[in-house]
Amino acid sequence: MRANSWLRFASIGAVGVLLAVIPLVVGGSSFYMRLATVMLAYMTYTIAFNLIFGHTRQLFLCLGALAGASAYFSVILTRQLGLPPWGTIPLGILLSGSVGAVLSYVSVRRGLGVIFLGIVTLAFSLVFHNLLLGLREFTRGETGIVTRGLGLGIMEDRFSGYYVFLAILVLSLLLYYLLVRSRVGLAFRALSDDELSAELAGINVTGYKVLAAFVGSALLGTVGAFYAYYNGFVGPEIFSIVSIDTMVLVMLLFGGMGTLLGPVLGGAVFTVVNELVRPLGPLNLLVYGALLVILFVLFREGLVVMLQRLVSKPARRHVPEPPPAVVTGPEP
Amino acid sequence: MIPLLVDGVVLGLQFALLAVGLTLIYGLGGILNLAHGHFAVIAGIVTALLISAGVTVPLAALLGILSAGLFALLIDRTLMLPAYRYKGENRLLLGLMLTLGLSLMVTGLLNFRFPQTALSLRLPVVSVEIFGVTVRTASIIVASMSLLAILSLLTFLRRTTLGKAVRSVVQNETGAKLCGIDPKRIRTLIFVLGGLMAGLAGVAQGLFSSVGTELGMELTILALIVATVGGVRSINGTLAAGILLGVVNAFASFYIGAYLTSIILLVIAALTILVRPEGLLGHLA
Repeated sequence: MRANSWLRFASIGAVGVLLAVIPLVVGGSSFYMRLATVMLAYMTYTIAFNLIFGHTRQLFLCLGALAGASAYFSVILTRQLGLPPWGTIPLGILLSGSVGAVLSYVSVRRGLGVIFLGIVTLAFSLVFHNLLLGLREFTRGETGIVTRGLGLGIMEDRFSGYYVFLAILVLSLLLYYLLVRSRVGLAFRALSDDELSAELAGINVTGYKVLAAFVGSALLGTVGAFYAYYNGFVGPEIFSIVSIDTMVLVMLLFGGMGTLLGPVLGGAVFTVVNELVRPLGPLNLLVYGALLVILFVLFREGLVVMLQRLVSKPARRHVPEPPPAVVTGPEP
Repeated sequence: MIPLLVDGVVLGLQFALLAVGLTLIYGLGGILNLAHGHFAVIAGIVTALLISAGVTVPLAALLGILSAGLFALLIDRTLMLPAYRYKGENRLLLGLMLTLGLSLMVTGLLNFRFPQTALSLRLPVVSVEIFGVTVRTASIIVASMSLLAILSLLTFLRRTTLGKAVRSVVQNETGAKLCGIDPKRIRTLIFVLGGLMAGLAGVAQGLFSSVGTELGMELTILALIVATVGGVRSINGTLAAGILLGVVNAFASFYIGAYLTSIILLVIAALTILVRPEGLLGHLA
């Protein structure tokens, strides 16, 4: 147990170091720097979704909206009221965290199943996007808002921007791991196996689900807000369902739900895949759709579990964690 | 007021037609088909292609609708098989992901292959006067088509032996099996029926405005809203919800504006789930 946990900390460190040398490897080429930075953002989004969906089975189809809510809130406050970004970013993060927590609380209280929570959050994201387009005087609709020069110089330099995202990623990994290996993680496991039994065993199911949603949504908001300043401008397209939710879903499924390194691996692989299919134009959607189907049909446990199995195959009766209950395992 | 109401009801019947296939597949097949709107788009595009190839409009429309059914058959026999192996929430979730993947694939393929094709029949807009209200002929055709389709679907499920077999599978799969009903074939039937309904809705949409490749997701979401408000399982509920939302839509877009209208519809759907998850009609349906 002890050794195992050091191994995990070491792997987080290794990920950090490995990603930290990327700028040196790509020699500061602005194209690759940007690609790598976007990759870090997606990895963190995926960690957040892993907490929300992978661990507590809450199907949030509003990841882009949560990230965007924080981004827009911070940018609009900064622009309209002249507040410093360092002050408005935490407010944005708090906003997305609270929205996520409220969505989660309401859904638990109303006893919504996975699908209905999916529909409610989908409706929330569509409302959010309609508001972005409709509240022109604040959001400037389709055109978006230029964030360059709003006072967050550290995000405007491609190197320091990259390292800010790397810091966010490593901190998220640490936070994730500390949560999951604590009592909280135990509760997550119990409630995702069987909510009723967990409740009967004295676990505060509502509390833990809301906690996961709050932390996850706040992480989404963190990345969203910093991305807004890094990107130089915010627009509705950046936080659309297709550009965030679908991607994150695929990354998490590919990497492996409920694993520490799954989001990192999934994020890395799909950043590359994304670049490979970009020249295909409209056909890249076809590739994504096909991948989603293939992942779900053949590859439901994800890369991490598969690798673990490969490594420990000849070894003892090391039983890999059972695949997530919701999407796998035929019922008796 | 009255013309607005008529517009709303016509629109509502169209909404109901669009959503009824989704309700059918969810309520009876246990799959929430996120590619539902794409079935409609396929029907529309096939019809448009046939018309531009010189086929007469009614025949082209018929073939278009059939193509959606055929596509549904294909999907049911291939893509949906893994989902059917599970039950309950697992089937729903896997079905959700598979149809999401399908919708992306269809959008990608159609955008690539037919970026410019759109069905827009532009029926001659003759207006007739009924009880002092002027109504477009297109509206009458669409409204009666929708009503007819939904009513025959209801009659089929309520009155015919096959329809009863379909409902028995929903109630108890094992029991149905013991009575000699093959759940697999019933599921296929449901899926194809749902596809046909979507196809019909797609062609009906083409009569009014146009159906292009980019509309798939939008139609799916609209169908989802209507089906949700109707309670997702009941066809009566879907019909009522469709008409209600159609009227709301007509009045809201007239008095408040288009962008707030879509927000209102979405909020109604979310509130329905939160306040009255069994849908508008609840257990009456």
